[in-house]
Amino acid sequence: MKNFILVLLLAFSLPAVAEPVKTAGEEETTPEATLKAIQHFFAKEFPAVKGDAFVDGSMNFSKSSKEYNNFWMLRFVDDLDQPEEYTKAMSTGKKLWTTPFANGKTFASCFANGGKGAANDYPKVDAASGKVVTFESALNKCLESNGEKPLAYGDMDKMGALSIHARKLSDGYRIKMEIKTDAEKAAFARGKALFYGRFGKAEQACAHCHIQQASKVARTEELSPAIGQAAHFPVFRPNKATGDLGVITLQKRYEGCQKNTLVADPIKPGSADSNELEYFHTYISNGMPLSTGVFRK
Amino acid sequence: MKKIIFLAILGALLLQGCKTAPESANAATAAPAAEVKKEAKPIEMDAVKIMTDPNIGNCTACHAIPAVPSLVAGDMGPPFIGMKGRFPDIAKLRTAIADQKAISPQTIMPPFGRNKILTPEQIDVVAQYIYQY
Repeated sequence: MKNFILVLLLAFSLPAVAEPVKTAGEEETTPEATLKAIQHFFAKEFPAVKGDAFVDGSMNFSKSSKEYNNFWMLRFVDDLDQPEEYTKAMSTGKKLWTTPFANGKTFASCFANGGKGAANDYPKVDAASGKVVTFESALNKCLESNGEKPLAYGDMDKMGALSIHARKLSDGYRIKMEIKTDAEKAAFARGKALFYGRFGKAEQACAHCHIQQASKVARTEELSPAIGQAAHFPVFRPNKATGDLGVITLQKRYEGCQKNTLVADPIKPGSADSNELEYFHTYISNGMPLSTGVFRK
Repeated sequence: MKKIIFLAILGALLLQGCKTAPESANAATAAPAAEVKKEAKPIEMDAVKIMTDPNIGNCTACHAIPAVPSLVAGDMGPPFIGMKGRFPDIAKLRTAIADQKAISPQTIMPPFGRNKILTPEQIDVVAQYIYQY
């Protein structure tokens, strides 16, 4: 009987693993080999796309996509034609970043160099807890350590706007992640399992669209390659139903992707799963320059 | 003690094997509610509506129908053209819609029949519609 209970306890304590799609990078066991395999696959598929150009995502595959993107990016800097939602998000983000907390300190006090060159250091693994710390969770930790209430990770009006302002301070800085410790390797492996794992009734994986099918067209949109994606979030993205522009963080996009692919209980912004997925996802953009608050379809 | 460890590992592997079923853990808990909700709505039987609605079949997201310019929106899957030549037996087309993964294991195509995204009747309506091209 004891044996039986032990067997049951052990079996149910193991995390469920979704069946992975076997595409480039899936079978490699180390972070370095995984990244190399994906890079090799993309180099073969898109020989014209090199280095930092991956940050431009699907614009590499379509002239019209690039032109449409440029049209919006020009509006962002046009005083007479700036989209209302853009103006609002940028001013909210700046206000949140610069308004002193009750104790008189500001967000800049939580990061070296006032926050310049900070965002590209994330995500990282906290050595004590083994948990992934994203830049957004560092922003919330800053609030809490100064006696303020944290922001909801899914709140794009506040967390999204703050993230854009704070990350923009590191525009052009290159993502620098190192995966050396066992805890870091474990976080990478868990994030990788989520990236390649099939979810929901559609049994689709991130890796399906953004590795196996990258550059192909779905609903008139070219699918962007997985490399480079993490370098340009949060983005401004039009709502497909209303056309309204909105801030979307990387983790909010994960949730949206899963909703679109029939996952009944999509991954939530700020969850351990989202953090680990972001950890893997950002690593495969390692060395790329941050380019935050851009327009993406 | 060795016996306990052996049994524990064996049990874990067996149950873990069950858990690797395609319907993932985070989807499994909410799936029954979604099915109940779906049953409450009338089942769409218009082929084009099934194929274009993102919440139903969404076929045209990935497959283009070159003969109908408004239904050319994706190229992830092969276009619907020369269907009778490619599928002399329409039953095989229905089988592919129902579970393409059984034919091509790494496919991105959802198993519309196996996971009850579409009913067998809806699959038949879609198969009949695209068979004309």
